[in-house]
Amino acid sequence: MSSNMEEKPLSVEKRLTLTKFEIFEKPHIIVDTEKCSKCETKPCIKACPAGLYSLDENGKLVFVYEGCLECGTCRLICPYDAVSWSYPPGGHGVWYKFG
Amino acid sequence: MSEKFDVVVVGGGPAGLSTAYFLAEKGFEPVVIERGPEPGSKNVFGGRIYSYVLDKYFPGWRKEAPIERWVRKERMSITCESDSVTLDYVKHKPLKEDEYDSFTAFLSKFTGWLSEKAEEKGAMVLPGSRVEDIVLNDQGYASGVVADGEKIEADYIVIAEGVNTLLSEKLGIRSKPRLETTALGVKEVIRLGKEEINKRFGLEDWEGVAHFFIGGPLKGIAGGGFLYTMGEYVTIGAVVRLSEVNRKEITMKDIAEQLRLHPAIYRYVKDGVLMEYSAHLTREGGLLDVLEKPYGPGYLVVGDAAGFILNTGFTIRGVDLAIESGRLAAEAISKAHEEGKRDAETLSVYKRLVEESVIYRNLREYRNLPKFLENEVLYRDLPDIACEVLGTAYTTDEEVRRIYPVLMNSLKSHGLGWITLFKLFLEARRSI
Repeated sequence: MSSNMEEKPLSVEKRLTLTKFEIFEKPHIIVDTEKCSKCETKPCIKACPAGLYSLDENGKLVFVYEGCLECGTCRLICPYDAVSWSYPPGGHGVWYKFG
Repeated sequence: MSEKFDVVVVGGGPAGLSTAYFLAEKGFEPVVIERGPEPGSKNVFGGRIYSYVLDKYFPGWRKEAPIERWVRKERMSITCESDSVTLDYVKHKPLKEDEYDSFTAFLSKFTGWLSEKAEEKGAMVLPGSRVEDIVLNDQGYASGVVADGEKIEADYIVIAEGVNTLLSEKLGIRSKPRLETTALGVKEVIRLGKEEINKRFGLEDWEGVAHFFIGGPLKGIAGGGFLYTMGEYVTIGAVVRLSEVNRKEITMKDIAEQLRLHPAIYRYVKDGVLMEYSAHLTREGGLLDVLEKPYGPGYLVVGDAAGFILNTGFTIRGVDLAIESGRLAAEAISKAHEEGKRDAETLSVYKRLVEESVIYRNLREYRNLPKFLENEVLYRDLPDIACEVLGTAYTTDEEVRRIYPVLMNSLKSHGLGWITLFKLFLEARRSI
C-alpha cells in the first residue's frame, strides 16, 4: 500500500494504514487508567508517535493498542507507572518492510 | 520437552545476527530467536551504515548486500522559518565503489541479508518467537530462555534485545532507560523514483546524500531531522529526546509531517508517495548509557542492549558497533568454551575486548558530547543567528549593511555575551 502526499499534513491514522501489522487479538500494553486520572500532564498523549493515547469526552484517558509501533516510549515517559508494557507475542505486531 | 543449544541469541537484529554469524564461523551451532515474523521486521534506523566493518568480516559484501546508495554528499543544515544555512561536504572526484566509507540502506532489508549470512555459516534463525524470560539455574547461571511459553536450554545466552531492555531489567543488570538520554525517532519512507532523486539531488544512480537538520519544526528542541536518499526512495525523520517531549510543546505523531512540509525539505520530497511510517527509540547518552557489566554467569549483552551507539555530532553509528560487539561476543564465548567455563569472571574477557575495540575507543573520546548536545543555545539561538547574519550578508539593495554589527546585535538579542560564548567554546573543545 502507499499514499500520494500533498502539501498538507497526512494524518497519523492514514500513515499507519501504510505500515504493515499482524495484530494480535489481545493487547500487549495495558494502561491502568485509574492512575491516569491523577496525572496532570499526561505526556503519553503527545509522546506516542502513533497517537494511540487520547482523551474521551469526559476527559478520561483512552488507549488503543492497534497501530502500536512498539517503540517503548510510553513505558518510559509515563510518570505514574501506569503502563504495563510488553511486546506482542512472536510473529505479531508491527512488521516493518523498510525499517 | 526442552531442547539444548550451545548458544541462544535473543534478538535477530544486527548485533544478534552478527554474534550468530561469528559463532557459526567458529564451529558453534547458535540459534537466534527473533520475535518478529522475519528477521529485520522490528528494526528501524535512520538510513546509513559504515562500510569498514563489513570490509573486514564479510568478503564480497559490496556485491551482495542490499546497498541503496553510496554516500557522496554530506550535508548539515540550520533551518529557520524562511531560509536555511547548509554546510555541504562533497568529494570532487567520484570514488570507485569500493572506496566509499558508508552507504544508505533499509535496516529491515539489511538485517534480512545478515540473517542469510549467519544461516550460510550454519546458524539457525527462528523468527516469530518472543523470549519472555531468561532462565537462571540454581547457581544463578543463565541456562536458557522461555520463548512463547517454551523452554530452550543453552550453555551461553547472548542478549541482543535492542533498546528496550526488558530482559536485562528483569535480570536486574540495568534500570529503565532515562528520559534525558533516550530519544524517539520517527521516520517516513517516501517513494520518488530513481531518476527524480538523481535530478533533485544532483546524483548519479549509485550516489547518495546524508542530510541532517537542526531548527525548523524542531526549533528550540534538543533533537534533529534527517534525510537520506535510497535507490528509489527518500527517508526523512526526526529524533527528539524524551525529556524534551516532556518539557516542550511538541507532538511526536505530527513531527514527521511537519518536517516533510518544511520548505527546506518539501522541495526534495514533493509529489512523493508514502510507503511506511515507523518509530524507534535510540540512546543518546554515549558512554553514560553503556552497560558497565555487559556479561554475567552464562550470558553476554551486545549491540543496542549494551548501549553501544555513538553520536559524534556529525555522524551516528549503531550498526557497525553492533556488528563489532557481536564479533567480540563470539570471541569471548569461544574462549570460555575452550576452557569449559561459563562463569562471569571467564566471560568478563568480553568487556576487556570491547574496551580495546573501536566501540570503546570512540565512546570514551566522545564521552562529553551528549552533555554538550543538550545545550539549548544550539537549537534555540544558533538557527536564528545564522540565518540573520547570512540573510544580511546575502541581501543587497540601496541600504548599507555590514555583517559584523548584525552579528553583534543578533548575539546580544539572544543574550549571548562573550563569557557565554567562551564557555560554549570550551565545552565544544572537550566534546567534539
